[in-house]
Amino acid sequence: MNVTKLAARNVYRNSHRSLVTVAAMAFACAMMIVFSSLMDGVIAGSERNVVAMNTGDIQIHRHTYRDDPDIYKMIESSKQLSENSRQAGFFAAERLFAFGLMASDDSSSGVQLRGIDLVSESTVTEIHQHILQGDWLKKDDTHGVVIGKKLARLLDVSLDDEVIFVGQTADGYMANDSFQVRGILKSIATDIDSASVFMSNTMLRELISLPEQGAHQIVIMRSDRKQDLAEATRVVSALIKQDLEVMNWQQLMPVISRFLETAQVQTLIMLLFTYIAVASVVLNAMLMSVFERIHEFGIMKAIGVSPWQIIRLVYAETFIQTLVASIVGLILGISLSWYLQQYGLDMTSLADGMTFAGIALDPVWYAEMSLSSALIPIGFLFVMAAVAVIYPAVKVALMRPLEAIHHQ
Amino acid sequence: MHQLVKILCGLFVLLTLPCSLHAEALTDTGRVKELLNQVDDLWRGESSYAVTSMQVKTEHYTRTMRMEGWSKGKEKTLFKIIEPLREKGTATLKSGNHIYTYLPKTDRTIKLTTGMMMGAWMGSHLTNDDLVKEARLEEDYDASISFEGEREGQNIIEFTLIPKLDAAVVWGKLTLIILADSHIPLIEYYFDEDFILARTISFSEIKSLGGRERPTVLRVVPADKADEYTEFVYEQLELNIDVSDRLFSLSSLKKR
Repeated sequence: MNVTKLAARNVYRNSHRSLVTVAAMAFACAMMIVFSSLMDGVIAGSERNVVAMNTGDIQIHRHTYRDDPDIYKMIESSKQLSENSRQAGFFAAERLFAFGLMASDDSSSGVQLRGIDLVSESTVTEIHQHILQGDWLKKDDTHGVVIGKKLARLLDVSLDDEVIFVGQTADGYMANDSFQVRGILKSIATDIDSASVFMSNTMLRELISLPEQGAHQIVIMRSDRKQDLAEATRVVSALIKQDLEVMNWQQLMPVISRFLETAQVQTLIMLLFTYIAVASVVLNAMLMSVFERIHEFGIMKAIGVSPWQIIRLVYAETFIQTLVASIVGLILGISLSWYLQQYGLDMTSLADGMTFAGIALDPVWYAEMSLSSALIPIGFLFVMAAVAVIYPAVKVALMRPLEAIHHQ
Repeated sequence: MHQLVKILCGLFVLLTLPCSLHAEALTDTGRVKELLNQVDDLWRGESSYAVTSMQVKTEHYTRTMRMEGWSKGKEKTLFKIIEPLREKGTATLKSGNHIYTYLPKTDRTIKLTTGMMMGAWMGSHLTNDDLVKEARLEEDYDASISFEGEREGQNIIEFTLIPKLDAAVVWGKLTLIILADSHIPLIEYYFDEDFILARTISFSEIKSLGGRERPTVLRVVPADKADEYTEFVYEQLELNIDVSDRLFSLSSLKKR
């Protein structure tokens, strides 16, 4: 007896029922592919917001700087250290910070000034591309600043408006100057959105009377993204040879790092529920298709088909249907994910300005396809179908032929 | 805040109350009240004009500036920086609970927000909040005399002041020491909510100024940085002068 051929005929003969089963499985499979690639995309997006927009892979500070960001706690040899890191194959950029008051015509707000090395910053972060309105800082613009989205709203300023900074210089005088808003950033993180003012580090040095050399922070980015982060941190620490604090972003932001790790587990748990729902659809379809034909199986057994052959037959039918469903599901799922990868899913109305632990979540969700986000759902579909069909297959296989024939 | 505020905001003014020493005749609480009011009134007048220099010494810099100031009542105060040249014309107006700063470099007037209140005023060891808060010791604190007699060769009275429950005060406790004879304040200790010393203000160089003997040097020392201080020296003081309300307006901030 050719089990495969018989199974194929059975599937074909009951075309209506097969179609429903295949469609249900294909749809579920496609949804799982889209869902897992979307989740991967959101997680990767949040990680990008954390690392590529602000933190970088590794940061170097003076030891107590992060707890008490005092403008005098500078890394004096920052230029040399960044140069050394670059020679060791990393990207590095120096940053300066200062605090004060920023005022527009109508209101004022406490701000953090972020002095950026315009040349090297773009090698470590993508913030220069993360502009909502206007442009990024330009080298020859001595009064241009780029500010966070919420700060712009707080001060009620738009592009090319004038803002006034008041603070204190390193030598105790009043720091005061006016600046033009050249750009407004997209959402990055709560503190950056609501209080940060980006300017070139030469402007900041002049405004705050900071020394020519030195920085408050050195940001390091791996040039090889596949290099292990902890390993890279050790390499950088070894490179420094000074009593400075070297930490990677996972150490700097343990909450977010943990969140991103658990987000993967959460995705898996949610996928599992989807799979269970799919499994019940498959089980239902299989139960129906087997029990509907008990009479027929009884005749088969009466003419000498062994229980084992019946089990194989049922499995072969299931396999054929699952195969067709997975091909259809794969095509559907991948094309949908591809669309979402290109154009994103705009959740602005639902999730605008949503943050987690101070990190902004992009309201437009982009999918990120990977081999595993396509293959895991398919593998799971096969396993689920196989498990679902155990009961009907065994039940029919063990039925007595006479009983089966008389079964209504 | 207290002494300090009175000195800065009430600008050095006073209704020259001759120290009527009927103390013995009063009950203890009545006497405490009267003494504290005398201390408060030492720095308060209907109006005033003063020239002060301020020296700030921190770990990272030492700087001196001179300023002139006017006050009227307890609500209105105006300061303008005379020296150094770099900051000349910078003016601070305190009107009620608001502080405005005029910045000559950018020709702008900025109103300080609540978020800036705990920030340093002009790089000193005082906060903007110190300038805004106007308090009378006797109104905001439950005071008692904790020591009276001779200490280090001086006849003094020491008060312990605990803020009243509803008083808008950031301190946990104050200790004020005044001279027993003249009722001139010597030193004032500020303790935080955990009763840990936060800062000390000492008064010295008692000279005749503005018509009576008073301390002309006031030094603020933060407790956590004993090497740092902000010192005010009074060079000139005129009391109960004729000052127009218009002086304390936003438009007069800009005038040199």
